[in-house]
Amino acid sequence: MSDYIIEMNHITKRFPGIVANDDVSIQVKKGEIYALLGENGAGKSTLMSMLFGMYEPDEGEIIIRGEKVKIQSPNHATKLNIGMVHQHFKLVSNYTIAENIIMGMEPVKKTLGIFKSVDLKKANEDILALSRKFGLEVDPTKVIEQVNVSMQQRVEILKMLYREAEILIFDEPTAVLTPQEIEFLLEIIRSLRDDGKTIILITHKLEEIKKIADRCAILCRGRLIDVLNVAQTDTKTMANLMVGREVSFTVDKPEPKYGKEVLRVEHLTVRNEDKYEVVKDVSFSVREGEIFVVAGVSGNGQIELADAIAGLMKPSSGTVTLNGADITAYSIRKRNLAGISYIPEDRHNVGLVMDFTLSDNLALKSYFEEPFSHKGVIDSEKFTSYGEELIGKYDIRSSQGNDTIVRSMSGGNQQKAIIAREIELGSSLTIFVQPTRGLDIGAIENIHKQIIGERSKGKAILLISLELDEVMNLADTIGVIYNGEIQKIADARTLTPSEVGEFMMGVGGRHEKK
Amino acid sequence: MNTIIIDGLSFALPLFIMAIGGIYCERSGITNLAIEGLQGFGAFCGALFAVSIAQYFAGNSPVPFYLAMLFAFLGGMLFSLLHAMLCIKFKANQVISGVVINILAMALTEFMTKQINASIFGAASNKFVLGVSARITVPVLSRIPVLGAVFTNLYPFEIVIALIAVAAWYILYKTRFGLHLRACGDNPHAVDAAGIEVSKVRLIAVMASGALSGLGGICFAYSISANFSSNIYSGYGYLAIAALIFGNWKILPTLGACMLFGFARSGGYELVKVLEMPSSYQDLVMVLPYVLTLLMLVFFSKKNHAPKALGEIYDKGSR
Amino acid sequence: MKKSKNNLLHKLILQTIGHEKRQSYMIPVFTIILSLIFGIIVIALLGSNPLGAYCNLLQGSGLAPKASYAGHKGMITDFTSFLNALTPMLFAALAVLIALRAGLFNIGVSGQMLAAGFTATILIGYSDLSAVIAKPLTVIIGFVIGALAGALVGYLKHRFNINEVVSTIMFNYIFQNVISFLINTFYVDPVSRQSKNVGAAGRLTLVDVVIGDYKMDIPLGILLAAVGIAVTAFILGKTTLGFEIKAVGSSVRAAEYAGIQVGRTRVLAMMLSGGFAGLAGVTYYMGYFASIQPKVLVSTGYDAIAVALLGNSSPVGIVFSSFLITVISKGSTYMSSTSGVQAEIASAITGIILLFSACGAFVKYKVNRWKEDTK
Repeated sequence: MSDYIIEMNHITKRFPGIVANDDVSIQVKKGEIYALLGENGAGKSTLMSMLFGMYEPDEGEIIIRGEKVKIQSPNHATKLNIGMVHQHFKLVSNYTIAENIIMGMEPVKKTLGIFKSVDLKKANEDILALSRKFGLEVDPTKVIEQVNVSMQQRVEILKMLYREAEILIFDEPTAVLTPQEIEFLLEIIRSLRDDGKTIILITHKLEEIKKIADRCAILCRGRLIDVLNVAQTDTKTMANLMVGREVSFTVDKPEPKYGKEVLRVEHLTVRNEDKYEVVKDVSFSVREGEIFVVAGVSGNGQIELADAIAGLMKPSSGTVTLNGADITAYSIRKRNLAGISYIPEDRHNVGLVMDFTLSDNLALKSYFEEPFSHKGVIDSEKFTSYGEELIGKYDIRSSQGNDTIVRSMSGGNQQKAIIAREIELGSSLTIFVQPTRGLDIGAIENIHKQIIGERSKGKAILLISLELDEVMNLADTIGVIYNGEIQKIADARTLTPSEVGEFMMGVGGRHEKK
Repeated sequence: MNTIIIDGLSFALPLFIMAIGGIYCERSGITNLAIEGLQGFGAFCGALFAVSIAQYFAGNSPVPFYLAMLFAFLGGMLFSLLHAMLCIKFKANQVISGVVINILAMALTEFMTKQINASIFGAASNKFVLGVSARITVPVLSRIPVLGAVFTNLYPFEIVIALIAVAAWYILYKTRFGLHLRACGDNPHAVDAAGIEVSKVRLIAVMASGALSGLGGICFAYSISANFSSNIYSGYGYLAIAALIFGNWKILPTLGACMLFGFARSGGYELVKVLEMPSSYQDLVMVLPYVLTLLMLVFFSKKNHAPKALGEIYDKGSR
Repeated sequence: MKKSKNNLLHKLILQTIGHEKRQSYMIPVFTIILSLIFGIIVIALLGSNPLGAYCNLLQGSGLAPKASYAGHKGMITDFTSFLNALTPMLFAALAVLIALRAGLFNIGVSGQMLAAGFTATILIGYSDLSAVIAKPLTVIIGFVIGALAGALVGYLKHRFNINEVVSTIMFNYIFQNVISFLINTFYVDPVSRQSKNVGAAGRLTLVDVVIGDYKMDIPLGILLAAVGIAVTAFILGKTTLGFEIKAVGSSVRAAEYAGIQVGRTRVLAMMLSGGFAGLAGVTYYMGYFASIQPKVLVSTGYDAIAVALLGNSSPVGIVFSSFLITVISKGSTYMSSTSGVQAEIASAITGIILLFSACGAFVKYKVNRWKEDTK
């Protein structure tokens, strides 16, 4: 018998175009907190998806409690007492917490001795007890849509515990949390470990690992680099190993040359569909030749802010001024014409008409103008020649060129098409929302170069980013948003990454205020 | 007043049972515009069976009627498998599937009715004559002033419907299956993650919808039209859809909406009678429920929340 | 053994409908063949000769010679009568098609036809206007009334988020009942129990024209329908409006993002759709026929859905598909009288075609997957 509860030996997993895991072997002891460290796309999530039965490895073996297993489905993983908290929670929004937790294994009672029904009372009691045991502070009778993200995450944890999971996998659990919530979560994870559970933590945040992990495996581009004892190492060593020496993330960026003001946002407040204020009294401005980055943790109102500037959402108060003209009441079309380009977060449902051809998508924002059409009649030849021009200029790769249906194109090339279209509009302001999300490293570098290129042309850039590295590399000015409010606006050179990080968590600058 | 209540109920209850079927289907996340066709096909099966066995029973025997209900139930369920296949297996557009099923049901039943009449019963007719179901009056309860009308001159099917409705309510809101079903309409990924097969739950929901629609259809055939013919396609299925939207996809409020339709209709007919208008004015009264539906939709379509995952094609892989 | 057989089948299917460019017409052709086979089986089961019955369909549509003709009648008579029935079908299919392209499902074509046909009947059909003025007016009124009815549906969708399927069905019943009431109260012909016949001046079909030895009905609307198809193809393929309609139909959010006014586009598309339905109405009630039967909605509006889906939502495609569906429905009367199969089988076969068409997207998806697998 080995001492390890989990052994994953020589795991290789390939996806079309990339090797996500290349001969990776890890061994996890019972009752330890084992961290998987690596950048986006390093292969952490893929590795754990195989442990949780979502994919099968192409090569290699998985051994659980000394027995070789083939984990075919998440259900199978659950039976092996493996649980996973995904980045995207899987919760029924109009159900209570208890209903969500018990789903699939509901306690049943019999009314009048014959009619079976779900015993919610017993469920509530059981869950309350479980919640108390691990200090989760969950009220099982609350409805999911009325509780915050942190609580929803704890519901996911309870789901695993209710299913008697012994091995708990957390996929980037802190990405969506505030600092206090993170502290609370780490506390919970510790108490789970103390109860004898084995914990695997997927993350790219070094401080968290330093705080709670026992051991840490570092992955870089699909390969296992090293496994370290956290107590005997420092964050700097881990960082170097994680990034890998050959990739440099610093971007060549000339000194800024600012021109006149392009965008001015004043006291902008935006409410979402539920009338909840998601952007609160936000003011800032962007100049020619400036990259203004709105930094923040996901879900703090930055998407809505971008939507409101581009016209996709209506602000409830405040003004947006572009090149001196008040455009607050403009339609989306009028804003585009006035000089706004917009690379949206959701490239599939918003940025592209997926069933249109590439050339139609490249002309999506100019089809109604000369020379693309004359008095409402489309000039197909212009569509074709324009498409070919952009395909060449931006190196958009597809199977059938202009006539390719964009649905069939790869994510990176879809994003290239959007960026090509938006840049070619020649707008004075370009809004990028998470332009590199989900792309591989080469594509990311390419997009960063394009953003810098636009800046050199004297365009104003508004960049919304969740990645601290991206923020620090590209920004001339940083505006940190937290809970819908701008916490801090400052020249990027005057801020350190950790300061920005603190503001992103809503805790920065406390000493300043005093 | 009594006639308004009696006729109103006998119209509202079959509508209600179809709407419950629709709620099952839509709460599981499958758009159901096929109720109209399902109720027609169900009624066809029931009527066909009743006509074929009629000779073995006395003229006033209630047995054929109950068997007809059973077969309408099964017939609707059978036909709903088409909708399930298109929506769940083939991942077709659910709206298109619904419309296709309506048109197909209409065409098939019309053809088969005529063909069967011609080749088996040797008659050139486009209907199966059923007669009107006998009525019953509950002894004591019917004496209650005003409300007593509810228990007067009842069609037996109204009692059956009431019982099924209670059972349907219990299953949807109290049992494990109901919990799974309603979750499928909000976040199928959560259901899948809990180890429950989404497509199986949805299949059962669609079948329930077919069965209940068929039941509603045969009730209309045995009351309003007294036969089965293409007249069964008078938009009952669509009224049921409007009722369930108005009822916010919940069973009890939907009952209220069905009652409103029923009483508006019976009240209108009563008005024509009382004012001694010519019978062609009945056509105008017939318009009432439809106009009411549109008005209700104008006021409620935006306010009410459809199940979140309604109409979305569920693909295990995507998030 | 079973596996190799499957592989053979796969290969065969891939060979025939695997090619992406050819799929747009190969899949509908497959659909039709399957449906016709279904029809053959049913007719054979009923004890009639399927091929004879199908021949009758062609004969009834004037596409094949009948055994004998009555005086002054011939194949050409049947054929012009077929064109007379084809005209409203083409318009109705255009109506469904243009709405479908905008992502909307207009199943209210029959009701819109009735509303337009009835309005034109009482305003022009019962007037003493001369033919030169009356005929264009009939066309205009038909288009305008239909367009208004369609635009209302589009507006309800845009403003109140009312599902267009439900609202068009409601309007179908409302038009049907209200117009039935009006006919029975004011315009009824006591003998036929239908609305009184319209005058020849406003009618869009020239009746009993004698050419050579034959008497025939000549539908003027068929020319208009040809123009309608060309116009629709032009709008969808070559105009910014068409670009907007297709964008809204494919992705509402992306269209909105591109600066397209989704609500306006939808209302316009429904207006065009309703307008075509109105033209179908006047060519039906004041062309093919000359009166309106109360309480009856014609099946044309529903058949048109089959036509549009089968025709792959393309203006050229529907020329072929409406031809086919009209042969089936028009020829069914003659088939019924000669081979004894109930005429209603026509709509049953149409329904089956519709069912198979609805599976088309799935077939395409599956075939393309196989193709990738075999690669």
